[in-house]
Amino acid sequence: MEQDNALLVLENLSIGYDAVLASEINARVHPGEVIAVLGPSGIGKTTLVRTIAGLVEPIDGNVELKVEKRGGLGYIPQKLGLVRHASVYHNVNLGARASLPVLKGESEERKKRVNSALVALGIEEKTTEPVRRLSGGQLRRVATARALAQRPSLLLADEFLSELDHNTVDVVITAVKELLDAGTSIIMVEHHEENVTLLATRVWMIHGEKLYDFSIDEWKTIQTGHLPGGEEE
Amino acid sequence: MLLLAWITLNDLVDDWGRLEGGWENLTAFVTESMWPPNWSVLEAQSYPVCEKDIEFFCSVGYLGMVETIKIAFVSTILGFIGALCLSSFAARNLMPMYIALPFRIILAATRSLPSLIWAILFVIVIGLGPLAGVLAMTFYTIGYLGKLQYETFEGMSSDALEVSKAMGLSHTTTFTSVVIPETGNHLLSQLMFMFEYNVRHGTVIGIVGAGGIGYYIDLYMRFLQYDKVLALLIIIFVVVVVIDLMSLMVRSFVTDEGDVRRPTWLRAMIKLYRSRNSSSE
Repeated sequence: MEQDNALLVLENLSIGYDAVLASEINARVHPGEVIAVLGPSGIGKTTLVRTIAGLVEPIDGNVELKVEKRGGLGYIPQKLGLVRHASVYHNVNLGARASLPVLKGESEERKKRVNSALVALGIEEKTTEPVRRLSGGQLRRVATARALAQRPSLLLADEFLSELDHNTVDVVITAVKELLDAGTSIIMVEHHEENVTLLATRVWMIHGEKLYDFSIDEWKTIQTGHLPGGEEE
Repeated sequence: MLLLAWITLNDLVDDWGRLEGGWENLTAFVTESMWPPNWSVLEAQSYPVCEKDIEFFCSVGYLGMVETIKIAFVSTILGFIGALCLSSFAARNLMPMYIALPFRIILAATRSLPSLIWAILFVIVIGLGPLAGVLAMTFYTIGYLGKLQYETFEGMSSDALEVSKAMGLSHTTTFTSVVIPETGNHLLSQLMFMFEYNVRHGTVIGIVGAGGIGYYIDLYMRFLQYDKVLALLIIIFVVVVVIDLMSLMVRSFVTDEGDVRRPTWLRAMIKLYRSRNSSSE
């Protein structure tokens, strides 16, 4: 009965651009799960996330996304996708506007969400600052605040913890845990193992054009040096 | 490419002998008919009687230029808004091709008629006067700016657009809250360029009776008063330079460089004056 409440169902999915990067992907994501997508560079992690987001057409198979069309899916790409010439508030407000459209009113709720997201990420003093003036760490905080204000059912985050100092990672992780408490599921592309153990409940490892789905405990066992299929790392 | 251009030019020109004596003709025309410019165009006209304290405000140069600027301003603003509406549907990264293509065709059709032809059409439809000029330049602006705008939108970074798409933001929200802020610098630059273009072309459409300084240029040319024509052309040149400076200032608010405080003209002049004084002491 697991599939009944799955937010995302991947069926026989093949991903890639000109060439297939990974195929026969079958996986599900359920509410409250945090999936860490792992694998070496160029293996197809970002392509998988972009395919789920509907930005890349699958080569074969299906992506069934069971979230609200408007505001149900959050996305933090590698380059963060912020509006550089707009203020921090404007960017964070876009997240709130995705799930609470202006035409439907609820402006107070939107403001509340934006302000609490700004405070949670510690950027409340940068509200009017144009995004282009911020440092790399601050930009990641803004992108996370945008997701926090959106409160999506499923958040796709592509290496959003990379290149951050420990202090900023702590702030972002605390904010993300707020999202998890609100019922959001997360698919995060990661390179750093320490970040995986901080949040993930499951691991999708892409290896040899296949996706392997592990619980976090199974993945920790794999860390001993054996890759699936009996290959040595 | 230069060689190809030269071969093509050679193919187009059947008789290079025509160039002979051309420079002398031009020199004679400028020195005998145009130079010096006749600045009486900045004095009050004999009719209607000037009721203002300063004669300049009743002059052909001032009245014509102000009317041209008014026509250019209104048509640039109306055209800019019209172009934004159409180009937001014509950009391939904002709309699927089956929607974008008809809007591109509409913009191409609007653009393919020069503003002069639009002016003739509107003079026929609504008669002589500034309204024909405004409508002619508005339509041309829509076609011209629309193309520049959708090409700008297509050239913007795809990251923010992809996030908007993934989040499920509407076309209107994406356009007003992502696309316009991200391309604001280019849009302002295009707006100012178009205003300048419309001021310059206001002179051309004035010739067919659509109002503005072009009406007076046409009038003086008919009476072979080329010295007055030159004076009006110098006035247009000065206005175009001022618009260019305004464009520089307006765009500095939205560029990255605008974050750095630049000295004003006045401060720069004071600094220069002080440095000269200190060196002479």
